Amino acid sequence: MSLLSVLTLDENELVACVACGLCLPHCPTYRVTGLEAASPRGRIAAMQAVQFGDAPLDATFERYMEECVQCRGCEAACPSSVPFGHLMEGARGVLHEQRRSERRWRRRLAEWLGYRLVLPRHRLLLALTWLLLVAQRLHLVPRRLGLPRLSVRSLARRLRVPAGDAPDAYLFTGCVMDAWQRDTHRAAIRVMAATGARPGLPRGGADCCGALHVHAGREEEARRLARRVIAALPGTAPVVVDSAGCAAAMKDYGRLLDTDEARTFATRVRDFSEWLARQPPPAVRADGGRVVVQDPCHLRHVQHADGAVREVLGRAYELAETDDDGLCCGAGGAYNALQPALATQIRDRKVEAIRRAAGDGRPRVASANPGCAMHLAAAGLDVRHPADLLAEALE
Amino acid sequence: MADLRAALGPDRARAEPLELALYQRDAGVDRGQAAAVCFPGTVDQLAAAVGIAAWHDRPFVARGSGTGLAGGATPVGDPLVIVTTGLNRIVEVDADERVAWVEPGVLNLDLSRAVHHLGLHYAPDPSSQQACTIGGNVATNAGGPHCLAAGVTAAHVLAVEVVLADGSVAMLGGLEPDAPGYDLRGCFVGSEGTMGVSGRIAVRLTPNPPAVRTLLLDFSTIEAAAATVSGIIAAGIVPAALEMMDAEITRAVEDFVGAGYPRDAAAVLLVELDGLPAGVEAQVEAVRRVGHEHGARTVRVAADDAERALLWKGRKSAFGAIARIAPDYYLHDAVVPRTKLVDVLRQVYAIAAEYDLTMMNVFHAGDGNLHPLIVFDQRTPGVWERVHAAGDAILRACVDAGGVLSGEHGIGLEKRDAMPLVFTPDDLDAQARLRDAFDPSGRANPEKILPSGSRCGELQRVPAGAWI
Repeated sequence: MSLLSVLTLDENELVACVACGLCLPHCPTYRVTGLEAASPRGRIAAMQAVQFGDAPLDATFERYMEECVQCRGCEAACPSSVPFGHLMEGARGVLHEQRRSERRWRRRLAEWLGYRLVLPRHRLLLALTWLLLVAQRLHLVPRRLGLPRLSVRSLARRLRVPAGDAPDAYLFTGCVMDAWQRDTHRAAIRVMAATGARPGLPRGGADCCGALHVHAGREEEARRLARRVIAALPGTAPVVVDSAGCAAAMKDYGRLLDTDEARTFATRVRDFSEWLARQPPPAVRADGGRVVVQDPCHLRHVQHADGAVREVLGRAYELAETDDDGLCCGAGGAYNALQPALATQIRDRKVEAIRRAAGDGRPRVASANPGCAMHLAAAGLDVRHPADLLAEALE
Repeated sequence: MADLRAALGPDRARAEPLELALYQRDAGVDRGQAAAVCFPGTVDQLAAAVGIAAWHDRPFVARGSGTGLAGGATPVGDPLVIVTTGLNRIVEVDADERVAWVEPGVLNLDLSRAVHHLGLHYAPDPSSQQACTIGGNVATNAGGPHCLAAGVTAAHVLAVEVVLADGSVAMLGGLEPDAPGYDLRGCFVGSEGTMGVSGRIAVRLTPNPPAVRTLLLDFSTIEAAAATVSGIIAAGIVPAALEMMDAEITRAVEDFVGAGYPRDAAAVLLVELDGLPAGVEAQVEAVRRVGHEHGARTVRVAADDAERALLWKGRKSAFGAIARIAPDYYLHDAVVPRTKLVDVLRQVYAIAAEYDLTMMNVFHAGDGNLHPLIVFDQRTPGVWERVHAAGDAILRACVDAGGVLSGEHGIGLEKRDAMPLVFTPDDLDAQARLRDAFDPSGRANPEKILPSGSRCGELQRVPAGAWI
């Protein structure tokens, strides 16, 4: 361990925790483990211990930080509004810089492939997706990964929007979602058009929003991606995002880049439902049946757009609520791949809550984030994006 | 450690320095140091852990969610910390008898939610109810806003399976209404882990009231608010809850919840009335009248459950919202006679001014249970001395007014040395003997509640050369 191995988090943010413990029940990892080390209060205490020199920045500390899903449910629950997400991203950033060399080579290779090679290059991601499709047909991709059935038709066809230069609203297409769930984008475009607005697509360069990079503490890479996204979406039209994790990250571009341009851009970003709730309602059939609403954490705790989802879905469906205060499902971007054991325990709680809310029969679940949808689908649930559900209900 | 790992499983006992650092404190201010921490998953494992501590002659401290406010879970004497959060099963619910058997790590609010569909709830509702455990509630004899009418934890615990300090298990109390013999259950509730650790607990469940109304009254002086409290009780009304917050704390919680608490009020009262619909409406009118007689600026009645919930969320977040003002707080829990409220409050603010400290008050006005909070930043040089001196002065003022040290948080470590303010040496000796009867070894949560020197032998040192 070198002498440089210290945390340098904002001290005022760090001491703002009075250790009251009101965050505990809202933390998915605390809920399934009961461990202080897996709680927001414990993680802050660990950050304090390391930053103030009472404990080393070692593998134990790294494990505590990496067990966090970064759902930010604690932030919404904290009466003192401790900026936990910011502290955690800062801690991850320091870990990324100082602990990288001690990580196993397999992990370093996987990180390099994912964060550096594939995500920033959308064409490469699409090419790999074709390979994945072939593998899926050969039954080489286990179901438990939750990957939706990729379709040749969907992948071969480009997204189409009405011609013209200045759209009323952009649909941000992103990385994984465009590769694996492009039909949801199609549904979003149909619903957007049904409101009378003219949807548009980003120019080239908006390969990835960088949300996963921020969560992994790779802020420099995230900044590069964010600049490209901003350049690909010129003008003043709203930027509609149908992935809750991406929208939350893009709304934070002002802090990430610290420029006026980024701050202005961030004000244009809207979650799909948030945008739709402010448009003339499209005509829908109101007999869609019962749907259990699952709030992606970055929709509910970060964007506070959970009300909008209910408003737009409620026009066509009978909505059922879970009784778990919007506790995280355990997907957490890449979390379910990095911490499979915890992610599965957290999901088990969520699936139980969804079944309780659904009553009889196989529940249909609405989730506005691709990661949550895949994670829950892997547990055998029928999960749909609100855009899919609304497009289905269009008259 | 080897014994613990063998008995509980390898993941259920830990001693890494960083892990132990997380168990140095609860939500109070005092820190200690644990020798090891373990996480039993069953009551048998809990008993085994206590037994292993006994075998190695090691003190032990039980800990639930660590939301206690008096340092009750602070590890003192290099102890084994036994965390009960893994014991979180609701074992049995009998809706007809209105009794639930729960493990000690069940969260208070989780229990109420689990029985909600039966039209029942668990009545004691400390502000931390979403996070705190029933076992911790039993240890501190926890209160809460709704304990004004419903009574504190002791009134809702029927029986406790206690793991004694030698690892043996005893059942105290029972489901029958009035068990013969001494009420050892009553003795154990509120013993703060010094007599043993709760295993399974039988709690009373309470029917949900048919009608509930929540009122928010705001005042331009604290005196008017306090006078209204006395006025409401004098009018023959016993509200389900009667809470008061002063100006600064009201602003802090409003910043968090946005419930529409008036930012310019000197004090607000939160009054909850429940019962049959007609009776509740009559009480609403009576409270409104008393409020206006005492100068309430506005009386707002929450329109629906969502508005009620938001108002309560504000009140119950009060301690946690403190960091909006300063990063540390030192909290007292004294109870004074309701008639002395105005007088004591005046003194409390004067003491804060004298020591140049920021003071806030949020409390259960209905039963005179004050929670004066001194907020500070411990990075300020010399602030601790002032905080402690002011805290002592406040306690003295409360005791002089005929009050007691603690209403619901417990004595723990923080208030321990103030015990001689209210108890004579004989009183303390009697309490120490009672404690010794449960735990002759003195290893169960040592150095809590009773100041050193409480036992007669310790107190009266025989002068050298004296004849005995």
